[in-house]
Amino acid sequence: MSSSASGEQSLDILVVDDIADSRRSLADLVEGLGHRATLAADGDAALRAVQRQLPDVVLLDLLMPGLDGFEVTRRVRTLTADRWLPVIVISSLQGDEHFCRALRHGADDFLARPVNVELLDAKLRHYGSMLALQRRLAVASQRQRDIYDNLRDAVVTLDAAGHVRDLNLSACRAFGDGTPVGLIGAGCKAMLGEALDVLMQRKELNLRRGDGSTMPAELAVSEWFEDGHARYTFVVRDLTERRQVDRMKDEFLATVSHELRTPLTSIVGAIGLLASGAAGDMPEPARKLATVASRNAQRLGRLIDDLLDLTKIESDRLLLNLQPHRVGMLLAEAIAASQGHADRAQVRLEALVDSADALRQVRVDGDRFAQIMANLLSNAIKHAPPQSAVTVGLQVTSRRVRVTVRDRGPGLAAEFRSRMFEKFSQADGSDRRVPGGTGLGLYVTRLLVERMGGRISADSVVGPGAQFTVDWPDAALADSVHVLHLLHIDRDADALRRVAQWIGSAMPVLSLASLDEATAAGAADLEYVVLGDPVGQGSAEAFCAGMRRLAAYGSAVLYSDAVDVDFAQRMGMPWLRKSTASRADIERSIRQAAMQAHKAISP
Amino acid sequence: MSVAPPSLKRVMCVEDDEDIRTVLEFSLGTLGGYEVMCCASGPQALAAAPAFAPDLILLDVMMPLMSGPEVLAALRQTDRLRNVPTVFMTAKAMPEEVESLLVHGATGIIVKPFDPVTLPRDILIYWEHGRGRP
Repeated sequence: MSSSASGEQSLDILVVDDIADSRRSLADLVEGLGHRATLAADGDAALRAVQRQLPDVVLLDLLMPGLDGFEVTRRVRTLTADRWLPVIVISSLQGDEHFCRALRHGADDFLARPVNVELLDAKLRHYGSMLALQRRLAVASQRQRDIYDNLRDAVVTLDAAGHVRDLNLSACRAFGDGTPVGLIGAGCKAMLGEALDVLMQRKELNLRRGDGSTMPAELAVSEWFEDGHARYTFVVRDLTERRQVDRMKDEFLATVSHELRTPLTSIVGAIGLLASGAAGDMPEPARKLATVASRNAQRLGRLIDDLLDLTKIESDRLLLNLQPHRVGMLLAEAIAASQGHADRAQVRLEALVDSADALRQVRVDGDRFAQIMANLLSNAIKHAPPQSAVTVGLQVTSRRVRVTVRDRGPGLAAEFRSRMFEKFSQADGSDRRVPGGTGLGLYVTRLLVERMGGRISADSVVGPGAQFTVDWPDAALADSVHVLHLLHIDRDADALRRVAQWIGSAMPVLSLASLDEATAAGAADLEYVVLGDPVGQGSAEAFCAGMRRLAAYGSAVLYSDAVDVDFAQRMGMPWLRKSTASRADIERSIRQAAMQAHKAISP
Repeated sequence: MSVAPPSLKRVMCVEDDEDIRTVLEFSLGTLGGYEVMCCASGPQALAAAPAFAPDLILLDVMMPLMSGPEVLAALRQTDRLRNVPTVFMTAKAMPEEVESLLVHGATGIIVKPFDPVTLPRDILIYWEHGRGRP
């Protein structure tokens, strides 16, 4: 098929007729209309011509000796299964029956002899434009396929049974030998090394490549429907390079840490010795200056520690060695470690720990627990007046182990309390008595607590002082399978209904309009993952704080169109956009929140 | 004749940073009253240690020529130095690293920056803890 300058399409037309005169006159008509004609004198010649070079249209005499038009039509259809070749049958027979029969055999159209040239022209134009349309669609489809195949990410579509329905070239290369042969229809467990439910739950995991090696991968899944059947399309990103960059970053951080701390060691040491008078007595003003320098050198050291910790925690590369530990042992070690600091500040460290409670176990990283306690104790000692006591308390219930650290200092200003666990927050201005914080300590502490499944809060207590409370899930409970509920708080009744329908089969769902209703319903007595939309709930920040309070170990998820990713990050909560989040998105988020709380949802 | 209980007298410090060596000498020698020998590298320390006969060795981890763990391994090959309590000093102090250093057989870890005023007392605790071990 080609286009002339006027835009008219010139078609290659195969004219099949056993009678030479009819064949020639038909060819003349065709050529007169600006097309090219190829001639065939019988059915066999026609089929050979089709195989040699595919014409655009076949004009086919029905009545021929040997293979007749019906048989030729049928065979043309078989030969050109993957491409449409319009066949127009021509006959001088009276009546429509033979045309009907030809159409049943696969012909597209018919013309009666003698052929009306205008009708022939109209039909050829029609098929010309159909063929052009078909070609445009084929080009567009091929372009989509090329884009799809040239994605660097592997894209794999599975059905609900976990069988591969479709995959792109990157996926063929990653998980096969570069062709889809043997992969289409394969089970995902066989192809990727993981079952569908595991793929659905995990954002990052190791998959098996076609060559048997392992590939760290990030998965993004979308659920869609094809003729009512669920399809799961996974975009699989190879994280090998990113992991390498992470490793380099870790090495770089370790080097930076070493390079910063080496000169700091000399500075802290030399000034510390000066200030202590070890290098001889100094006049009081000089000693005072040396003390200032010493304190700030130490502060710089802590800042470096906090920054390095923060970089690791925020990028989620902190390795935690979670083991059951007796909480009494952890607290005793923490108090011993801070004793020197307390002595220097002339502050007493007290433990209010029941010996039976001390045997309870929490599932934490021992070193990081020590760091959390060191931060809280250092903070308390810093604010405690000389000769006062800092009290470490332990209260346990069936579900949680609560550790408190209380000082008798000036307490917490209300406006500071709301942002004290944020980055670079310090009680400022009014309280110049206790310099030396980095503004990162409590933020790092909160991140560490939450990363290990705990919750931290702070309150001014009755009487002077402040109290920090850390709740840990009991280790035995953390390991056991436990029925977790979903608490969904939303003013939007449709959303409540939708989520209850989606999630109700997986876990019990409590749907309520507001936090107050939740409190009234005694929600605090159950273990919840909380899903909520701050719209119509007053201050969004306060709403988030309320959600976190009700959630088991802080596992709350924002489900709203009214907030953005910055807000969610600030609140430290995962976020689902209500208008676009699918059922699978919600299930996955809740499952992750639940897993974060060391819980297993009953299926 | 009664035998005086053993006490911590001679401390060897192996540290490539000259300023930190100065602080260590001051802290442990001038302030702590120990007999201190500071070496700038592992080979230097291995050469001097048999004659000095330290009761305790403080060993920097990251040094050119020989790393702290390499020096420790060499010390463990030397008869008279095999059982000397050895404490690593590290400026990295990632939990993973502390773990691996203790696996190397160190008595303890001192994290830099350390407090030079409390260091004389701190190493005494390590020494008491470490000398009981093979």
